[in-house]
Formats: sequence, structure tokens, C-alpha cells
Amino acid sequence: MQATLDSPQTDFHLTPPHSARTQMRVTKRNGEREAVDVNKIVRAVGRCGDGLDAVDPMRVALKTIAGLYDGATTRELDELSIRTAASFTFEEPEYSRLAARLLAGFIDKEVQGQGVYSFSQSIRLGFDVGLINERVMSFVESNARKLNDAIDARRTHEFEYFGLKTLHDRYLLKHPTRRLALETPQQFWMRIACALSTSVHEAIDLYQVFSSLDYIPSSPTLFNAGTRHEQLSSCFLLDSPGDSLESIYDRYKDIALLSKFSGGIGVAWHRVRSEGSLIRATNGLSNGIVPWLKTLDSSVAAVNQGGKRKGAACVYLEPWHADIEAFLELRDNTGDEGRRTHHINLANWICDLFMRRVEADEMWSLFDPKDVPQLPDLWGEAFDAAYAQAEAQGLARKSVRARDLYARMMRTLAQTGNGWMTFKDKCNRAGNQTARAGNTIHLSNLCTEILEVTSEGETAVCNLGSINLGRHVIDGAFDFDKLAQTVQTAVRQLDRVIDLNFYPIATARASNMRWRPVGLGVMGLQDVFFQLRLAFDSSQAKQMSTRIAETVYFHALRTSMELARELGPHDTFKETRAAEGELQFDSWGVTPSDVAQWNTLRDEIKAHGLRNSLLIAIAPTATIASIAGCYECIEPQVSNLFKRETLSGDFLQVNRYLVEELKQLGLWTDEIRNQIKLADGSVQGIADIPEALRAIYRTAWEVPMRGLIDLAAARGAYIDQSQSLNLFIANPTIGQLSSMYMYAWKSGIKTTYYLRSRPATNIAKTTVQVSDTAAVVCSLENPEMCEACQ
Amino acid sequence: MTSTSRRASLLDSGFDLTLRPMRHPRFYEMYRAAIKNTWTVEEIDFQIDLSHLSQRMTPADRHLIERLVAFFATGDSIVSNNLVISLYRHINSPEARMYLSRQLFEEALHIQFYLTLLDNYVPDQQRRAQAFAAIENIPSIRRKAEFCQKWTDEVFGLQRIASDDDKRRFLLNLTCFASCIEGLFFFGAFAYVYFLRSRGLLPGLAAGTNWVFRDESAHMAFAFEVINTVRREEPHLFDASWARQVQAMIEEAVECEAAFAEDVLSGGVVGLTRREMRQYLEYVADQRLRVLHLPTRYNVRNPFAFMELQDVQELTNFFERRVSAYQVGVQGEVAFDEAF
Repeated sequence: MQATLDSPQTDFHLTPPHSARTQMRVTKRNGEREAVDVNKIVRAVGRCGDGLDAVDPMRVALKTIAGLYDGATTRELDELSIRTAASFTFEEPEYSRLAARLLAGFIDKEVQGQGVYSFSQSIRLGFDVGLINERVMSFVESNARKLNDAIDARRTHEFEYFGLKTLHDRYLLKHPTRRLALETPQQFWMRIACALSTSVHEAIDLYQVFSSLDYIPSSPTLFNAGTRHEQLSSCFLLDSPGDSLESIYDRYKDIALLSKFSGGIGVAWHRVRSEGSLIRATNGLSNGIVPWLKTLDSSVAAVNQGGKRKGAACVYLEPWHADIEAFLELRDNTGDEGRRTHHINLANWICDLFMRRVEADEMWSLFDPKDVPQLPDLWGEAFDAAYAQAEAQGLARKSVRARDLYARMMRTLAQTGNGWMTFKDKCNRAGNQTARAGNTIHLSNLCTEILEVTSEGETAVCNLGSINLGRHVIDGAFDFDKLAQTVQTAVRQLDRVIDLNFYPIATARASNMRWRPVGLGVMGLQDVFFQLRLAFDSSQAKQMSTRIAETVYFHALRTSMELARELGPHDTFKETRAAEGELQFDSWGVTPSDVAQWNTLRDEIKAHGLRNSLLIAIAPTATIASIAGCYECIEPQVSNLFKRETLSGDFLQVNRYLVEELKQLGLWTDEIRNQIKLADGSVQGIADIPEALRAIYRTAWEVPMRGLIDLAAARGAYIDQSQSLNLFIANPTIGQLSSMYMYAWKSGIKTTYYLRSRPATNIAKTTVQVSDTAAVVCSLENPEMCEACQ
Repeated sequence: MTSTSRRASLLDSGFDLTLRPMRHPRFYEMYRAAIKNTWTVEEIDFQIDLSHLSQRMTPADRHLIERLVAFFATGDSIVSNNLVISLYRHINSPEARMYLSRQLFEEALHIQFYLTLLDNYVPDQQRRAQAFAAIENIPSIRRKAEFCQKWTDEVFGLQRIASDDDKRRFLLNLTCFASCIEGLFFFGAFAYVYFLRSRGLLPGLAAGTNWVFRDESAHMAFAFEVINTVRREEPHLFDASWARQVQAMIEEAVECEAAFAEDVLSGGVVGLTRREMRQYLEYVADQRLRVLHLPTRYNVRNPFAFMELQDVQELTNFFERRVSAYQVGVQGEVAFDEAF
């Protein structure tokens, strides 16, 4: 840090407030000083405002100048004008578009400043500085003209500000020493497209799909495609280490290597002995799993994924493990720090037997894995029998009331959001890879949407990508033909990743080549509902969501079947349920909408096989949804007005669909905006807004979770892996949670993800004028908080 | 020791011990809500901050940050001391004292947070010692401390409240700490942090400050609840002379904080001018006057869009920060028929 503290301050005095009229100067890039010219800024802003009728360039210019200090650089001026434009987003969402366009101009300058004026030049520079690999370099060199011509710079106007800012700060390739972007957003899309294609035709097709934001591959693919480390997969699933020191340390190393290149980790810990277990070699007693997970926690925190994001892992444990109670306390804020982990996530791998005992209020036995080494590899009836036998043999270390343990799980969910409930038996029963005994799914992944078999020699891998559903609503109707097209392009791209991919560890390559799983997902379901004016829990919404899922699954299978016809089925096709003609909805006992069409496809699959054992997984899409400017995966909106805190800064997000509706009704006023802000983005208490509209614009906190689970279950019959299903309860109680998760289990859902809740108290509103804080609290909605009502 | 029997008014001196029937359930609710928002310093990761400090900040930014943490190094200790010297002693309600005990813990937590922050930010021992001695060395911080001291001194010798005059002295002290120190000095400091965060800088500082801000908001709400309770019980205390003194106090606080801003921003920081900072402080001061049922003094708009962001619910990205929204202290029993 600069030494300012040790220079003793002499006396200082108030300088008079300066006004915007005072002549202000900026320092240009060549070091010269120049007077700030309002008109110049207005013109620059105005040039970007084409077609944005609601923006006022003068307003942006004046506010920008007010934030300058004398002598600021032109670069600072550019940056400030972008931030200023973005700051008006709440009043008028078009300012987000304006900010994005100003930023696009800023990025262009940055890239051109390095001598890059075309796509092929950007690849050349990337290659020269050691970022781009030779394959992509020579592909682009030999097709430079066609590829350069296919770039459509206007497509950068598709971005919202937050999306483009995210892209610029974290995704565009940066010069290793200058730290400046060496590709524009369109050149970026083209680079990814070229890296994932074998012909120019394919590359341009993919570019079209990416740049129109119809479909976007997952972050690792966006980070690494075309580079010298093409690790393109999002997720890795590792079986539990064996019950030995060597095995545990091998696993740490696997995890570190996989984390390094942007992968999220799921790892099971079912096989490691519990506390108090005898260690024969030393005649000592084991400390159980907690110290090992503490070490894992530190290891994960230490791995920084190329400075792009932090390493992340989730540990799965079965509820019969004798250390389950300590496991559930790992993320608590209180207690012994030596037994707490702050970085890793926790998930419960729950068998049906446990849920049945909870429901019947029976006892539950906890075992040391050393005594029951067979349990992690069993599911369904075989598990039930082995568990009962172990109990009969008196092997249990401890017996607890099943409901007490279940309540403890609910408490962990409420207090930490962690301890995700995932259902082992359903995952295996409805898993395409588990037709043969010995092929067992032992866990899900970091985001609970991947379900693949693992073993000592097989680390499951998945490549992900998501279709932006909102972009498939054309003229007020959902376009299923366009969806089919997009699915086809996406599946072929995802399949190609399997062969291109750099595998950091051998067991990952081994598994991926055998099973060739991919995870095609969706995002922006909420955008579809807004555009079609459907309430999230309405029966029409459920119908639409299910039909979308069926369409995606159908065309994904068909494309994979066609790939198998061209290139051969994946090695283990014969070990899958699909080989026997059993598709996902069959495992659920669900009849699809067009049976004849499905029967034809089923026959073709039997004849030609599938190129991929698994096709569908709905990932959380946190970052790529931001880039695409849509709502995340299958989630309801969290709020009509919210803020994102990211390493790129803070961003206000306002529901632009709602704004459009309110503008039409003449209701987009200061007063309504304040009411929305005061209500934390809810419109339910605003009587001026018509009731039908309010139902559509409910938030995740206001839509009944039962509806969300019903939608997920209906869609589940067409998802051969799983979905990252967050659940939202503002102020959860144990009773509510235990009811909800019991319902989720019974509805046949494979996995759930975070439990989201809200803070118990809030930060004071600084920018909404409130006459008396007490009056806000004292309302009929808060009777227990109100002294006057008691 | 004075009587432990139940008195008529919140400020009648004594140490009331009876919780049932509860006279001020609102205070008890505030205590319980505070418990639910427990956080720990260990949850905060300063790693990225350190790389920002060395790579992404201009000398002017760094000057801002050094002034800011120097203020934070002592700010919460001042509040803690006043809590013990004045508030706990004179607010005669066991449930309110439960809240104050909790607040005292939170102040200690904030002190720990800023201590850890400074230890991380300023690795050099000698410069670190200077930062902690800011209150002696840096005039803009000394002036704020002297302002606080003046109002603490007012009640320092007050053993028990015996007269309306004593009550007014106490109320002025409470008002000063709620609306000027926590409500203005801290709000000013938070604005700098959120400005930096709006540029994506110092996420560790911002994360901790977010939690501190949430706690401080609750402290302020509690203090105003006390003032409102007294106003209901003894409206005559809130006369014209009280109003004049509060207005003068708030004006002085605005001047102190604006002078601090002159110092903090002396390097020239784009997007955060001294003029706008003053306007922001005036805007906040008006908010405080309004809550105190006094006419506003400045009548200006909030100039900071990034503070508007502060009023909006956060959606924490899974890969970037850990979510601070979860609650401690969940109630209830296993059931299968509850609505969800």
C-alpha cells in the first residue's frame, strides 16, 4: 500500500463545493490535458442510443461530469459514463442496453489498441502470446476470410449490461502481461465455435446459435475452448475414497487437479470409517471423517481456478454413516473450529428406507463403514436387505430416532442452506447406466443435476450447455420447431467436447470414453412464462414446462441415435436401460404425449444404439444466464428487483417484462418504483397493479413450493440425469421443511439443491423515504412484531 | 443500588428484573431477531482484497481505504464504551438490556472484524500501529472522535437519572449515537465501501461491511424504538429546546463527516466527489431528522446510485460469495402436513 498514513497531515480545510459548470479537464491517453466537452460526451452517448427511445444522452453526460475530478483520465471518463448509464437502470431498463453498448465500444477500443481488427487477427495474437492452441490456429488460418466475414458486430447489441460486463471481466481472453482483452465479444463466440467444429459450415452454424444467445455452453467450455488447456467439462463426480490413508490422499490430489481447470467437484465419503473405529496397524482409534473433510476444505480453498473463480466441492454422505451428525454440523457458525468447514458444500445421499422410517417414526441404525463395506454399492431392495441384516447382526454403532436425525437435517438446511437432500434409490432406479448390478450411482455432483456411475477406476465427467428458452418464444407463441433445431446443434456440440476434452486425471478419461454422457439443460423458463403471461404454478405453466422437457429429451435422444448411426454407439451401450428399450419416462411410469413418435424412436435406438448414455441435466446456469440476460434454469424469479454482487461489481436487475406491462398501464411511476423497492421487489402489496398481473409477477418466495415441486416432478420424467432444484422459504420452520422434503421424495424427484431463505433482519433502507420506521413494522402483516396489537 | 421494583417509565432509574408480564415485547423480539443474524469473522475471505490492494487500486483509492480502515479501527470501540457507560445503565427494562447485551457482543464482533481486516491489509507492523493510532494522528478522524467524546462526557458522571434534565441529557446521548455516529458516521463509511464494491473492489471488506451494516441498522432501529417509547411515555421531554439541540448536533455531525470526506477523497476518486458525498450525508441526516419527528434541514436527493443498490435484495452468486442470508435459531418439530 502507498504510504499515506506516515505523512503527517497538516491542517486541512473545507474546499468550497464545486459545481458542474466549473471548467473540468481530462488527461488524454497521450498525457495531454483537455477541457471536458459536454457536447462531445452527449454525442458519444447519443451514437449508442439508436433505437433506445427512452434514454436521454444529456442526462448521462451531465451526471458523468458531476462525478469527475479535475485531471481524471479519458479512460476513467469512459468507465464512469458506462457506470452512470447503468445506474439509471431501475428507472428505465433501456439504460442497461445503453450501458452495454457503451461498454461494447470501450471493449472495441481496448482490442483495437492491440492491433486486432479481425477475428483471424485476434486468434493470431492469442496464438503468439501462448493462449490459443495450434489446432484452432491452423483451422482459422486456413478459413480466415469466410470466418471473418461471418462475424456480425451488431449481435453485440443483444447483450444486457451485466452480461457484457461479465463477459469482458472474466471470459474474453486477456493478454498475459497487459491484461487487456484481445478479442471482442463476437470474436469470442467465433473462437468457441471454431474450437468445437470440424468444418467452417459447422463453425458458422454454432456461431449463429451462440451469438444470438439461443444456446450457450457451460463456463469451462467458454473459458477454455481453443486454448492450450482445453478442459471443457463442468462437473466431476468421484466415488468415496477407500478406507485407507493412501486412498484418501490420492483423492485430495484428484480433486485439486480437477479443480484447477474450472471443474466443480462432487465426492462421496461413504466408505471412510467413522469416529472410534479401530485402526489395526497402529492399534489406535480413528477420529472419523471430520478431520479428513477439514483437510479437504483447506485444499479446495487453496485452489484458485485460474483466478476466474474459486474451487468448489460438495461432499455426499449416506445417512447410515455413524458420523452423520458431526457431518451435519460442519457448516455451523458456532462450535469447535477444528470441526467446521466453511468452503465445501454438504449433501445427504438419502435411501428410501430412511424416509420410510421417518414417516413411520421408527428407529434408525448408524454403522461404521468398516463393518458394512457393501452398503455404498447397493440400492433398492438389495440395500434394504443388507441394512436389515446388519441391524440383525447387531453391527450398529448407535441407534437414533429417524425423525430426530431428519429434524437435524432440516435444521442444517435452514441454518446453512446446505445439506442438500438427494434420493439415492430413485437416482439409481431411474438411471440409464444402472441396468446391471455393479454399476451404481454413488452421489450427485456439486450442483445436484448430474447422476452418473462411479467406481475406483471411473471418475464421472459431464459437459454441459443450456438452451435459452426465452429466445424460443416467437410472436407470442413457443416455437417447438426452433427448439428441436437448437437441441440438435447443441447435442452434436456437447458430444464433440468428449473427444476434444483435456482430462486432468486418467480415471475421468476412462469413464467418459465408455459412457460419453452429456448434460443438455435449459434456462429462462421464467422468461417463457412472462412472455406467455403464465403464473408459475398454473396448470398451463406445468403443461408448457413438461412439453418443453419432452421435446428436448426427444430430439436429444434422436440426435444421439443419429450420431450412433454415423460413429457407432458408446462402448457401454449394452449395459444401459435404453438398450432394453427403457427410456426415462418408462422408469417413472409416465406415458408421453405422442406415443407413436416415441415408439419409432425407441426402435431406432434399439437398432442403432445411442452415442451418449445420458443427455439431459438442468444445471443452475448462474453465470451463463447472466451472459444471456435471462432467468436461471427452471427457477422462478427471486425478485422483480434485485442486486447481484459479483467480482465485477454490483448490478441492479429489474424485471423488464414487468416494467413493460406497467408502462402500458401507465403505472411505471416513482411512487410504484418506491413501493417495489420497499417491498424488496414484491408487487403483491401494490393494489394499483391488477391482480392477474400480480399473480404472474410473484417471486420465488411467493410461489408455493408445492407448485415448484410439481413442475419439477412432471418434467422429471424427461430428464435422464437430474435438475438443480432450489427451494425457497423465507422463514423456514422445521415443520414446514420436513413436510416439504417428504413431499419432494414422494413426488419422485431425484435431487434437490439449496434451501434458500432470507435474513431475519434487514439493512435499513437508505434511499427510500420513510416517515417513521416503527410504522412500517407495525402493520397487520406483522402482528407478532407489533406492540400495539398485543 | 436502586430499587428493583417495576417503575412507570423506561427511563425511571433502577434495575427492573421482571420479564413477565413483558412490558416491551418489541425489544425482546429485536433481541431474538439479532440472534438469528449471527455471523463470524472467520467466514470472510480477504484473499481477493489483498490482490486488489496490490494490483487494482490507484494511489487515491488506497488513500481512501487507509483513511477508512483507520476510522473503523476505533469507531466501534467508541460505541461499545457508550453502551456500557450510558445506555445499559439507564434503560430500565430487562428485555431491552437483553438486546443491549447482544448489541455489545455485536460491537465486539465488529471490532474483531476491523482488527482482522487491518492486520490483513497493513502487514507492516509500524504502519499498522500508526493506523490503530489514527484517532491521535489524523485530524479528520480526531475531530469525529472528539464529537463523540463530547456526548459521552455529558452522561459519564450521571450515576442515576433523577430529573427531567437528566432524562434529556440521556436522550441527547442516545440520539447522538443512533443518528450521528451509527446513523451518519457509519453510514458515510459504508458508502465508501459500497462505492468500491460497485466497481467490483474489495469483496472481503464489502462482505463483512454488509453484515456490520445489517447489525448497525438493527442497533439504530432499537435506539429509535427506545426514543419513541419515551416519547409516548413522557412527551413533555421532547420540547423545543430538545429539538434545537438535536438539530445543532446533527448539523455538526454532517460538518465533521464532510470534513472527513475532504480528507478521504483528497486524491481525486472518479465517481465519488466531495460535493456528492456531502449531499449524500445531508440526505441521510434528513432521514434521521424525519425519524426523530423533526423538520428536515437539507431537502436534497440521494446522489449515489450505488447506495440505491444497497436497498435492494441481493442474489448471491453461488460460485463467488457465500450467502449471508441464512438464519440461526430455527424453530419447530417434524411434521408432514404443513403448508409450503
